[in-house]
Amino acid sequence: MPTRRKGPRDRRAATPGPVTSHEETTSAEGPPEAEDAPATPVPDAPVAGECEPSENAGAEEAGADAGFPSAEEVDDAAAESATASRHARRNLLFPLGVNYYPLDAETQGADDWYAADIDADFAKFSRARLTLVRVFVSWRFFEPQVGQYSDEAEERLQELVDAARTHKLQLLVCFFADDRLAEMLDVPWGKKRDPHEDSYLVQRQTGLVQRIVNRYRAEGAVFGWDLANEAFCSGFSSAEQMAAWVATMRDAVREIDQTRPIVLSCDPETLFRGTGVDARDVIDANEIGVSHVTAAYRAYAAEGPLTFGPSSYLDAFLLRCASRGTPVLLDDVGVHSLDHSHAEEAAHLRAVLYSGIMNRASGVLVRRWRDVDVERREPYFRDPFEVLVGVRDIDGEEKPTMSELRSFARVVARIDLRRYTLTQERTAIVVPDERFDPLPDLSSLYDPRSCLQAFVTAKEAHVPVTVIYESEEYAPYSVLVVPSVFELADTTWERLAGFVQGGGSLVYSYGGGDEPQAVRDLFGVEFLGDGGARSVVACRIAQPDVLGPLVSFDARLELPSFAQLCGGGATIVATDATGSPLLTVNQFGQGRAVFLAAPFERAIAQGDPWAVPEAVARFLRTVYGSVAGAAGCGAPVTCDAPEVEVALFAGEGDDIVVLLNHGRTAVTANVAFERNVTTIADVRGGEPVEIGAAFFGVPLDPGGASALTLRYG
Amino acid sequence: MAEERTGQLAFAEDLARQGQVAPAVEACYHALRVDADDPLAHCLLAELMLSGDFYDEAIHAASRAIEIDPGCAPAYLALGLAYDRRGGMWDQSILVWHELAEVVPDLVTAHVQLGEAFGAAAFEEDAIAAWRRALELDPGEARAMYNLAVAALKREGVATALPGFRKAGELDPTQDDLFFALAGVYDDGEPAPDPADVPADRASRLAAAYALAFEEDFFSAADLLRLVLDEGADDAEALGLAAYLYLKQEAVNEAMACALRSLTISARTPTAVYCLGVAFSKRPGLARHAARVFSALAKAVSDHPIPHVLYAESLLALQRYSAAQQSYRTAIALDPACVRARFGLAAALLTEGRHAEADWEIRRAAYHDTRRQGLFWALYDEYAEGR
Amino acid sequence: MADDAASRLYQAFVSQDPAAAISVIEEVRAGGVDQGVLFDSLFAPAMAMLGGAWAGGVIDEYAFTQAAVVAEQVTSFVTPPATATDTGITILIGAMHRDHHAIDKNIVAAALKEAGHRIIDLGVDVRPADFLDRAEETGARIAIVSAQMMSTARAVGRVREMFAASGRDDLILLVSGGPFAADPALAREIGANGVIKGAESAIRLVDRVARERLGTGGD
Repeated sequence: MPTRRKGPRDRRAATPGPVTSHEETTSAEGPPEAEDAPATPVPDAPVAGECEPSENAGAEEAGADAGFPSAEEVDDAAAESATASRHARRNLLFPLGVNYYPLDAETQGADDWYAADIDADFAKFSRARLTLVRVFVSWRFFEPQVGQYSDEAEERLQELVDAARTHKLQLLVCFFADDRLAEMLDVPWGKKRDPHEDSYLVQRQTGLVQRIVNRYRAEGAVFGWDLANEAFCSGFSSAEQMAAWVATMRDAVREIDQTRPIVLSCDPETLFRGTGVDARDVIDANEIGVSHVTAAYRAYAAEGPLTFGPSSYLDAFLLRCASRGTPVLLDDVGVHSLDHSHAEEAAHLRAVLYSGIMNRASGVLVRRWRDVDVERREPYFRDPFEVLVGVRDIDGEEKPTMSELRSFARVVARIDLRRYTLTQERTAIVVPDERFDPLPDLSSLYDPRSCLQAFVTAKEAHVPVTVIYESEEYAPYSVLVVPSVFELADTTWERLAGFVQGGGSLVYSYGGGDEPQAVRDLFGVEFLGDGGARSVVACRIAQPDVLGPLVSFDARLELPSFAQLCGGGATIVATDATGSPLLTVNQFGQGRAVFLAAPFERAIAQGDPWAVPEAVARFLRTVYGSVAGAAGCGAPVTCDAPEVEVALFAGEGDDIVVLLNHGRTAVTANVAFERNVTTIADVRGGEPVEIGAAFFGVPLDPGGASALTLRYG
Repeated sequence: MAEERTGQLAFAEDLARQGQVAPAVEACYHALRVDADDPLAHCLLAELMLSGDFYDEAIHAASRAIEIDPGCAPAYLALGLAYDRRGGMWDQSILVWHELAEVVPDLVTAHVQLGEAFGAAAFEEDAIAAWRRALELDPGEARAMYNLAVAALKREGVATALPGFRKAGELDPTQDDLFFALAGVYDDGEPAPDPADVPADRASRLAAAYALAFEEDFFSAADLLRLVLDEGADDAEALGLAAYLYLKQEAVNEAMACALRSLTISARTPTAVYCLGVAFSKRPGLARHAARVFSALAKAVSDHPIPHVLYAESLLALQRYSAAQQSYRTAIALDPACVRARFGLAAALLTEGRHAEADWEIRRAAYHDTRRQGLFWALYDEYAEGR
Repeated sequence: MADDAASRLYQAFVSQDPAAAISVIEEVRAGGVDQGVLFDSLFAPAMAMLGGAWAGGVIDEYAFTQAAVVAEQVTSFVTPPATATDTGITILIGAMHRDHHAIDKNIVAAALKEAGHRIIDLGVDVRPADFLDRAEETGARIAIVSAQMMSTARAVGRVREMFAASGRDDLILLVSGGPFAADPALAREIGANGVIKGAESAIRLVDRVARERLGTGGD
């Protein structure tokens, strides 16, 4: 690989984790305690067999009198009985936290703001090894009359801060949030004026913000200031209006507190989808970004079963979309509605948590602590700002999601992000700028789905991958994937040509319509026109092994377009049944440009992404994988199960490999490394298992995850 | 202005009917620039957005059409389908289907969808009433039958539900399609010949008998078949067709006799294997036999979804639910639009308590079924004519 | 012998003589042929002959139909039973007190019944004492308690406590529902002997329990 490229920006490097001092980190990571023993002893299993069982999803039924309690139960029981001063190991570089909403029942009113037993809840957070708690200020409760602040509100906020301090937690204080329950924004004196732009209301908001920031400017238990959540931000009618409001609030904070990070809890992609406001620049102006999947976005991008297939990659995809130079907190993790079983909730949470650390999240906040006790009505009403589902039920009973959270906390506690570095992503999916074009241009609707599918395909090829926008810098990457695009800017074609000329690899799939002249030069093919729709993909391999071990196939897939090409200088790797080029590769300058003659990613996304013909999926991931491999940025770990996502955290003398099964069935992922692995062990500790080979098998349940420390010979 | 509007809208309609979504959307926008309050343009836009699975946009456009004209039936259809396909909006969906059932009382799909919306919202009794109403309007409505079978499953388990699934499967034309595919008979668009004009040779008579059976003229087909068998009684293919004709008349034993005779002559007569499996599956005690036969059929015709569905159904009868799931999934991989496999898979998932996934499979079945029906254009044309 | 019997059965069909058909079947059965193979070894060949006779014009359409009616009348003699034979194992099943989720319970109950077990369905919202009372009354040794909410899942422990308090530690407690499927540790915590994760799992687990703990039943 050319060495002239600078590495992709290290998004974690700037992470201002909720760490107040190095001493605190060190002390928190003292010698291993008994409670950090592995959940299950790692049995002897030399090769391709049974090493550490995955996390508990899909575990077979317990047999009669199966041995119990388990090590994990003992461990958790020990944690529960620990004194407040004895805190379990946590990873302060990867804050794990929860959204702590003020109300837990529909029957409660605005004045019941945080009327629950705060200390008891915070003690539970601490025992679960959480480190970060987002709390929500109620403007209505704080300022019941203009300029008059409620003592009671301030006392309760103080209780929150005290509880955080006592239990060694940190608060992310959100000023303006709508949870559709506590009426936090409805100041009775607001006279229906718009709090997003009314100058008087904005002035009052500034006053509230400064009052709270001033009071806690020296408070160690406050991690940062969150200006607003997405429900509030959805009220902005333009990016300019939003930018003005955010700038005002930021200034208000910065006048008093110049150090703590400021957050705006908006995911740029979901906000744009919901409102048409492209707020990327506004969001990027803050120190920490946020990503989350809303119910509406899930219905749009990956409507289908939550626990496997494309939707299980959606959180990671949005996380990658939101990552533009600032650390990103994976927020609002959890299901949206109360109509999933506890098992489904747990499986979903596990997938998202592991996705988070495997895709460079800077921390995770779960959706909420406790289920909302909703009125027993049917049908149940849902909205995009769903905040009804917690990790505890309405009686305060722990749900299985809580066990998942605790289990994950024990895993991340052992992944020291100063020691271990995730493989750098040098492959990027490029989201075209046409995604932001207004209707009637349908690109804005098709493209995110195509990009998600490309992301899934790259993951299935086990290629370390991220997501960038068309206008971003290409230099940090070795491979760019431009999936099923309708149109790119002229300057983009020039930049892509420069990228390939300089040694980069480009995978481009035709999206329909005309192609610019640049296609001829870059891809070495003559574009003759759009051949129209096809319902069968016929692939005949002309040049075996040029782009990986491709095989000929016929499969049913509705292709909306098919580029008719004739030869140029490109090597025709595959054709359709009649010899029309389907896949070409062209050496251009120092790099390679691969042309797929049909919008495969869009076709898969618009069809049934849960029932993709295996031949098509294999074809596409072989192309992606081989291009990345040839560019020196392929899979760091070879894995024979495409549905298993793999992430390698490289250390000094050892590495950590994390595996997550996105499939609906159990699988043994056979993983192979470049070096001989002498031992593997659960990252949580325990006895290492001898391997003595470069490969071994890891059994994973459906949705199961495993994190293993590898030592090499 | 009216002329310009009409022109733009007609252009949009033409494009939409040709399936050219993007230019049709653009043409709709043009039409709306001329007249922003044209319900036809809005509901056409809704249908186009629905065809791209852009549900929020479809909801927006259809709602606007209804706002302008509360009698705009195609807009209700688009709105209801958008709610249902998007999921999670059952309360709104119920209202819409109620409205549509009032505006177009004999629209069977409205009742089926209403039932599914009720079902998703846990109003089981109302759901069952809606599906029954759909079956009253059209006794051949397979999806209503599938839904009733799922409802029976929830109350009384698989054994009670299975006959319903099979009955629905028989209403579903895909099973007949399989038989004719096994026989190598495809619809060439030509009508079946008049039996009197068929040349007096075995091949012509057999081909004509298949063509007549395809058109459901079973008696004429049987007459021709008799002539074929009179020429040569040991004709495995002819006996396969005879078995099919008997099955269509609910004469299971005759069908079994013909199929068994056919297989005695040639053990590899796919049509006879199929008929034998179907005959076995109608006998509760022969579930194992049916599974054996359909397993062989699924292996022999592995690229067609229905043998896998039939095999899966026989596995359900044997309480082998995880194996049934696997077969249903194979069928869905071969044909994601296979409604029967989707419902069957939903049933198998329900046996494992996987309700959310089962609900999704049912929604997906509705998705493909309603796309196949193409009801929008019928309502649209009727509405446009009545304006 | 078998061919001969099949021919005689075929003759009984075409003679429209169900009594003769039954005699042939009983005779073959008395000769040691298992019920499970009667269909394949006797009935199917006879039916193939019947089909052949119709195809060859030996019998006409009317005779074919009448023969088919006779075949219908004797079908129950040659087909394996539609449901499994009675295992003699009585199982109580119900949803925990304050839990009104019935679907999973219904499906599991029907599957077990189909598998030949004696199912006593106590319905939903069943108090722990009712499980004990009905176990005493029916002699059931297995109770399946379903719960879909955390609070009701945890409360299943009260069923075990009640069994223990009454000296009925021998009762097998199996649990089902989302909370248990997600976290098998919860089942151990409340003293369950196993977790049912669906209808097929229920059949497997009950067979296993019957084999290992009750010394009966099971394949």
